[in-house]
Amino acid sequence: MRYATKTKLLSGTALLAVGFLSSAVLAQDVTIAFAADELGATSYNPVTSSNLNSATSLIYDRLVEQDADQSYHPHLATSWEEAPDGMSWVFHLKDGVTFHDGTPFNAQSVADWIPDFTDTENAYLVAAIESVEIVDDLTVKLVMSRPEPNLLYNLSSTFMGVPGSAAYEEMGDEFGVSGAVGTGPFKLDSFAIGLETVLVRNEDYAWASDLSENQGVAHVGQITFREVPDQSTAFLELKTGGIDLLLGVPTDFLEILKVESNIAIIQMPGTGINYMPINVTSAPFDDIKVREATGLAVNQEAIVASIYNGVGAPAHNFLIGSLPEAQVDPMLNVTYDVDKANTLLEEAGWVMGDGNVRTKDGTPLSVKLFTQNGTEFTSLTQVIQAQLAEIGMEAVITVFDSSTIRDEYKNNRHQLAVRGYDWNNSDILDWFFSGKRLGYPNISMWEDAEGQRLNDVAMEDSKNSDERIANFKAYHEYVLSQHLFVPIYQPTKNIAYNSDRVNVPDPVRGTRFRSQTVLDMTVVE
Amino acid sequence: MLLRYIFFRALMLIPVSISISVVIFMIVHLLPGDPIDNLIRVGSSPDDRAALITKYGLDQPLITQYFRWIGAMFQGDFGEAIVLRRPVADLIAQNLPYSLTLGGLAFAFSSIVGIALGTISATTRSTIVEQFVRGFILLGSTVPGFWLALLMILFFSVQLQWFPVSGAKGWNSLVLPVLTIGFGGVALVARVTRVALMDVRREDFVTLLHAKGLPSRTILTRHLMPHAMLPVVTILALRIGWILGGAVTVEFVFGRPGLGSLLIRALGQRDYPVVQGCLLMLALAVMLGTLIGDVAQAAMDPRIREVKK
Repeated sequence: MRYATKTKLLSGTALLAVGFLSSAVLAQDVTIAFAADELGATSYNPVTSSNLNSATSLIYDRLVEQDADQSYHPHLATSWEEAPDGMSWVFHLKDGVTFHDGTPFNAQSVADWIPDFTDTENAYLVAAIESVEIVDDLTVKLVMSRPEPNLLYNLSSTFMGVPGSAAYEEMGDEFGVSGAVGTGPFKLDSFAIGLETVLVRNEDYAWASDLSENQGVAHVGQITFREVPDQSTAFLELKTGGIDLLLGVPTDFLEILKVESNIAIIQMPGTGINYMPINVTSAPFDDIKVREATGLAVNQEAIVASIYNGVGAPAHNFLIGSLPEAQVDPMLNVTYDVDKANTLLEEAGWVMGDGNVRTKDGTPLSVKLFTQNGTEFTSLTQVIQAQLAEIGMEAVITVFDSSTIRDEYKNNRHQLAVRGYDWNNSDILDWFFSGKRLGYPNISMWEDAEGQRLNDVAMEDSKNSDERIANFKAYHEYVLSQHLFVPIYQPTKNIAYNSDRVNVPDPVRGTRFRSQTVLDMTVVE
Repeated sequence: MLLRYIFFRALMLIPVSISISVVIFMIVHLLPGDPIDNLIRVGSSPDDRAALITKYGLDQPLITQYFRWIGAMFQGDFGEAIVLRRPVADLIAQNLPYSLTLGGLAFAFSSIVGIALGTISATTRSTIVEQFVRGFILLGSTVPGFWLALLMILFFSVQLQWFPVSGAKGWNSLVLPVLTIGFGGVALVARVTRVALMDVRREDFVTLLHAKGLPSRTILTRHLMPHAMLPVVTILALRIGWILGGAVTVEFVFGRPGLGSLLIRALGQRDYPVVQGCLLMLALAVMLGTLIGDVAQAAMDPRIREVKK
């Protein structure tokens, strides 16, 4: 608090000394370039959008925030209680919070907002909420149609930033485009789709979560978020001072950036895994021994060292390391063992033939290996191809665009594929392995009675968070035992910034670069 | 006579547009993949997916979907983007000014500089100038746009710091993209102008004009240029269509919005209504360009009006 006051005093003095406002305001400007995967958002309406970027988290606050260790922290909700049977949740709301249009945030705001999700693509986030009851002005009770131990995760999503209901009603389709009203530390000033978004500081802000040191008004006065699709251009903008902070720096750019003396890099733990699904319906992968051997042939440690210069971590199962469900029986983790792989293939009847390719009944062990274009996957796929050759498996690479490759999966024309996902929740297992989504997202084409039973238990019968963790861990372990995929790599999320211009707290607070971190950012005087 | 020609030529655009709309619709829908997978996120159920397919009418026969789309188009309704969640007309209206400014300026730049360079190289007696222009033409027609764009940024923005690296704010952000796109155009226009002028110069009537003692300058402006401009106008007219959609890579490198960038993004996500809307706009621009070119030629050369009548 003392620090915040001091900064205010200092900038106040500077303002007087300089004598006119504009240069003081300019000095507090920060320009940020979006990451490539968050380009092209057409709206800042969190309720109806299918694509939201980092700026959204600065306009809207959430009831709950999630930290990098996946723990939940109070924000607009100061505390909450879950009923023992999971059929209701009570949230106590923060007092004195106001929206950008001056209207107060209270229980009515929550009661007005949740029903807005009905019939939108985001309705699944609140599907388990039957109704919202107002207990008193600052207390709401969410009555559930079924227990939803994942409710806090949903509430901490950017899509569940709380909009001002009066403005939401009034602006209709224009909400989030020509204007936006939230309770966040920044207000939407202007939005040019595909070009830039300008946010200005909310001068009344005094309700940050405990993830930020700064509990008051942001230190930065104005933020311009720019869309720079080409990574080389974005790098040159950073170098020449056109932008101060670059989100989503590709790992192979880090070495180039490290050379620049004024550029600092922050590596955040990633929220996803790169992996190789195996199509269990396509011979020879209908044989579990061949699948297991394929997994043992991939040397994750060597890949991290050679392709990624040691940045990031090897992946040995399907979930990111910070999730409790990732802590499975170590025997089930997939770890490089080329000797065991060769033994398994011999057992399965595949003998080494000419040109170091195995054969069985005259058929060579030649398989299709798919990947997507324009991504970091191309070089990774080539290394996987070389590693599979070590066990006598010839992999033929085909590269597709992201929409076409999904069509290949759905038409069951694939065998192996190198790809990645970005999701920090164990329900990703349901997404990629449920028998109800064969082809895509269930690229492994896996249908299994026991698997579906464990999936149903984890998804629907978990009464509370502990039960959910146990159920998903059991499901995860069963998935691992069936050798449906090969885990490869946990990438980091990288941020680069101009240290002559801004100070950014390291480590970044929260699972992604969001308002908690931006509140603590300062402009170098 | 000329008005009649324009009228019939414009009338032809109607059946052509309808055929093009069928082709565009079919190509877009026959591409593998669909927009729904780009819309749903982890956590939504297979039932949600099915509901979305119904909501956007993607379960209807293609012919029904086509008539629904073209019917709305006739009423000026471009439809709603599926993945981008905005009215297609809004998205096009937001991107069109960027494309028109960049494409229009690049077109003007390449036309003026190209014709000037072509004329100089065809008429100069200095071999050094001629060699220089020929070298420039060769370079301009072969250098890839994205590479030239990066070189321009490195030299003018990073080294000299004259212009911003990227963006679309203010006139100075336009200079490098216009030069990048214009460079290839200048080479093309210069080459065509040069060849046309050299051809016309060999005609007998030019020898006669020289024999009559007319100054070279008068022969060039009054007699050579009008003849030589016919093929140049044809080439320029074809490039009008490029104004709208020909700058995708340059837009990408310089981080500028535009119709080309919108089309590429929508195509990647299989956002059918947006792709169809953009492609139709581009097709119309090419057709209009051709029309303008034909009319200009007809106005310049009476023989064309006679033959094509």
